[in-house]
Amino acid sequence: MGNSRHLGLMLLAPAGIFVILFFLAPVVLTAVFGFTNMSTATGISGGAYVVSDSTMLALKERYGEQELAERLLRKSYVIDEAGLQAALEGGAARPTVEELREKYLGASFGSRREVERLLKKLYNRPAGIRQIKKIAAGFERSVVNVRYDTPEALLAAIEGYGITLTEAQKEALAEVSYTGWVFTAQNFKTMVELPDTWRTMANTLFYVFTTLILFNTGFALVLAIATHYMPDRPAGFFRSVWLLPRITPPVLYVLMWKWLAWDNGFLATILEPMGFAPRNWLLDTPANAWTFIILINGFVGASMGMLIFSSAIKAIPQPLFYASEVDGASRWQQIRHIILPQLRWPILFITSYQTLSLLTSFEYILLATNGGPGGATEVWALATYMKALNNYGGALQYGYGAAMSLVLVVIGVALSLVYLRMFNFKALTESPKIEQ
Amino acid sequence: MSGNYRKWPMVLFLGILTAPLILMYVYLFVDTVTNTPPGAVIPDEFTLEHWRFLKETLPGRPSIWLATWNTFLFATVTTLIVLAVSSAAGYSLSRLQLPARSFFLGGILVLHAFPTVTLLIAIFLILQMLGLYNTLIGVILVKISLELPFGIWIMKGFYDTVPWEIEMAGIQDGASRFQVWTMLVLPQVKPAILALGIISFLAGWSEFILPLVLAPGNDVQVLSVYLAALIADDNNFDMNLFKSVGLFYVLPVIVLFVFFQNKLMNIYSGGSKG
Amino acid sequence: MRHCRKTLAALAASSMLAAGAGTALAQQEVTISVWAIAGSTENYRIDAIKMAADILEREYAIRGEDLKINIESKTFTQWSEYKQAVTLAGEAGTAPNIVVSSHTDIAPWAQAGIIVPVEDYVDLDAWPLNDIYPNLVEIASYQGQVWAIPQDTESRPFFFWNDYMKAIGYSDEDLAGLADKVRAGEYTLQNVLEDAKKMQDAGLVEPGKGFWPRPSNGGDFWQFYMSYGGEFATDDGRLLFDREAMKGAYQFFVDAVNLGVTRKNHLGTPWDQWHGALTSGQVGMWHGGTWQYSEWTGKYGLDFFKNVTFTLIPSGGNERGRANTLTHPLVYMITRQDNEDEMVISGELITIASEPRINALHAIKSAHLGITRSEEKVSLYADDRWTREATEVLLPFATAAPNNPNFGQYFEVMMSGLQAAWTGQKTVEQAVADAEKELKAALGDKIVIR
Repeated sequence: MGNSRHLGLMLLAPAGIFVILFFLAPVVLTAVFGFTNMSTATGISGGAYVVSDSTMLALKERYGEQELAERLLRKSYVIDEAGLQAALEGGAARPTVEELREKYLGASFGSRREVERLLKKLYNRPAGIRQIKKIAAGFERSVVNVRYDTPEALLAAIEGYGITLTEAQKEALAEVSYTGWVFTAQNFKTMVELPDTWRTMANTLFYVFTTLILFNTGFALVLAIATHYMPDRPAGFFRSVWLLPRITPPVLYVLMWKWLAWDNGFLATILEPMGFAPRNWLLDTPANAWTFIILINGFVGASMGMLIFSSAIKAIPQPLFYASEVDGASRWQQIRHIILPQLRWPILFITSYQTLSLLTSFEYILLATNGGPGGATEVWALATYMKALNNYGGALQYGYGAAMSLVLVVIGVALSLVYLRMFNFKALTESPKIEQ
Repeated sequence: MSGNYRKWPMVLFLGILTAPLILMYVYLFVDTVTNTPPGAVIPDEFTLEHWRFLKETLPGRPSIWLATWNTFLFATVTTLIVLAVSSAAGYSLSRLQLPARSFFLGGILVLHAFPTVTLLIAIFLILQMLGLYNTLIGVILVKISLELPFGIWIMKGFYDTVPWEIEMAGIQDGASRFQVWTMLVLPQVKPAILALGIISFLAGWSEFILPLVLAPGNDVQVLSVYLAALIADDNNFDMNLFKSVGLFYVLPVIVLFVFFQNKLMNIYSGGSKG
Repeated sequence: MRHCRKTLAALAASSMLAAGAGTALAQQEVTISVWAIAGSTENYRIDAIKMAADILEREYAIRGEDLKINIESKTFTQWSEYKQAVTLAGEAGTAPNIVVSSHTDIAPWAQAGIIVPVEDYVDLDAWPLNDIYPNLVEIASYQGQVWAIPQDTESRPFFFWNDYMKAIGYSDEDLAGLADKVRAGEYTLQNVLEDAKKMQDAGLVEPGKGFWPRPSNGGDFWQFYMSYGGEFATDDGRLLFDREAMKGAYQFFVDAVNLGVTRKNHLGTPWDQWHGALTSGQVGMWHGGTWQYSEWTGKYGLDFFKNVTFTLIPSGGNERGRANTLTHPLVYMITRQDNEDEMVISGELITIASEPRINALHAIKSAHLGITRSEEKVSLYADDRWTREATEVLLPFATAAPNNPNFGQYFEVMMSGLQAAWTGQKTVEQAVADAEKELKAALGDKIVIR
């Protein structure tokens, strides 16, 4: 293990595997999905080829193949030798098959249920519905509603039932009968066209920058500076309390806010005697909802800035403070001329780091307002999640959702590259001093 | 600390700003053991009925103890693997010669801010291909991946502060780089390991979206999903019960916090070293 | 589901060959998993399958096959999470064997290959399945096949608080005849707004509590689209977006807000508060579901028939308008599995669970309506005044949403437009125009805009 180059790679390898599996591969897949119409109905892993009412409607309308469509949709069950043979091989009793052949050979039916009823009327009735269904299925001589894995299988089956198709018809049929997803650039077109896209984007920018300015940096600074001017005990107490929102699990944390803001919640109860009619303070108006969204996220976000700024303030040499006090500087002057200049880089760091985390976070909004009222607090990441994975109607649009997440990926990567440049990346990555 | 300014205005000022937060946490405790008449804010009776979920399984929900065990397993395994992988990768990036080292470092910084949650569909597909959808281990793997960039970056930052002389001495005594790392350097970064361990544990304990989407089965349910489902049930609205389950859920977090808060503060501010 | 694939295959083979021959076999075990959306009174969605398993085991035993059926169950409380879980599990090939869900899920799940047509596994010509109301079987069908077995049904009426109606001038007779008037289109949604306003002006209810709609997302809101003459689909099975009817529906809620009889932020009201307010006489009128009766009379102690009158959802009053109600049956579906035997056993379980006596347990406990004719002869069911009256007044006029793979998407767009208009985020015209635009972009020729 003397060679540090190999050791380095070996130590890095486990992390690499995680990154490839759960960062790189998903990005590649998402990029591909973004250009498909993938949804609940098309499935993710590919579809089948089915002749059904709806696919034949498409055959009529897109290709004008009225006659073919109707022909294919005609269900047909025929009691023939092939079917009888299949029944025998499938384990049907010989007397049953004999009776069928004797009485019904050549008969044809328009649905399987008729065949099933026929089988049940036999003197040598097959035992159990399962056997009946199996025998009946063997007489099917049409492709309606059967799922074929490949277009070839479907076409072969159709030809097997004596319907010959032209090349053009084959192509048309393969296209319309496919139930899976297809490649398309429609998602991005739709995204640009929809007014809601722009509203969501505006919401996102508002959410990120307001929270960032008011809490993640603004209030964090207030906390850091205020605790700096305090004895250790209260300072420690306040820092701990403000760390609580960060460590409290989101589900519980948001529940506590709901308790505060709901119709019969704490706020409504104590404000009622003061003449405010009880209301759902959380969802009353978009302004209310935003206020709470920003408070909820801000209370969590403030702690990180607070800690980083506090340690940066601690790093300021004490004599600087003493000297300025001797000079008669006010507290405000101290803050302006000593503390803030020292915090330039930490503030920039927090700003850039938390822009990205806010941009991609939606957990708290999902739990608190679920984007309401009326979509007023729907941000990009939440809209993505709802489109792709979580909606009341169960219409999961994986393709469109993936297209939306691609937008976030591009913004995220671009921003972080800018930040890397800003923070003088070279200095962070200077080479190790022992090279063996 | 500067001694010449009055302190109490600052304490009062922050006290007012902090009051709502304290209020919410105080009521979190109070409401679990009391009943409050409608329209009032002061409880009027003591009761333990809100804690009934510990003894009897609530209708339609899995047992709370199963969910607790799953959550514990989830958080612990995540923590252990994050620690092992990040301390190895962090050391490699901090001290060892690597081809394309700055590329790796830059990559980690970019991943740090990656919108992974929005890639859930693709992640689901990968778990499915691995046969790990709806398993605890599947969600654990994803959670680990999410925590790694932060972990590696933090560990690298702490390794950077270990004096070179320690390793020089080790190598001159004939130890391999691997031995130097495990025997000399790792003990030096114990505080970082402890702190990162706590952070990862808390992150695992709190995680909601990943288990919700990737492991919906009852037998792998974790407490966050358990609580969220309870709250969402249209027919069973009971704020005090929710709070009791919530308090039960958050207790280990609070215990950890009380014991290790200084370590935690360390590491959150340690982020700035990068 | 996971274990015993091999033994089952063996069991299947032997039962196929030796059915009735009474071959004694060693004990076989099969695990059938069931997922359902179920609130606290809806436990029989799962329990019925457990009871069926017990009966089926006995049937197998009599036939000489020692089969042990384990039922693994999971219930969900939120539709969005439930559908997400079923869909993803289906994609992953780990779907539960039996799923209880909305009939509108049949189309997308069928197309995706997550579920199989139930008619391939059960005998629709034999009791009890041949006794199911034909319109329910229709609702569980898609593209000419029966995909699922109805599990329950319900409808969504309009409710009036008797005392307040009387206080604004309705006599007992008027109230008794209200359901007929609504059905005839003589009492319309405009009358609803007027009367709600009157109740508020008379100080009977607080402002904003004259008329309370359902507090969250739901199919119920399609009823107001139908009130203004809207239809779900064209005759050839394509979705239909009726601009005028949609505008009418959106406008109704906006008018209600402008009049002050409904609150702008009503959607999102916690359920307990909603139930609590309307069962304690704080609300003049509301619309809800027949199943909520069980909570109102149970948990909230409402004396229903003394205090409340119920009718269809009134017509919008325009020319095409009509009184209506939506029914939204849940259905048992069988998912596609590698193991054919599990699908067969699932079919047998669903069949037994649909027997009147078992289904009546669910119907009465959760105040749903029954699925079979003979259920009306089960005394538990027949003795229940609510199910009897609700069945008479409502069911004949009930419409169901279409089984169309894109209906879920339509639903989302319709709902978000309604919310945007209701909360004042958009004007009615803008909301309708945006919805139309989104549907056109997303669904192309799969939706007809009229």
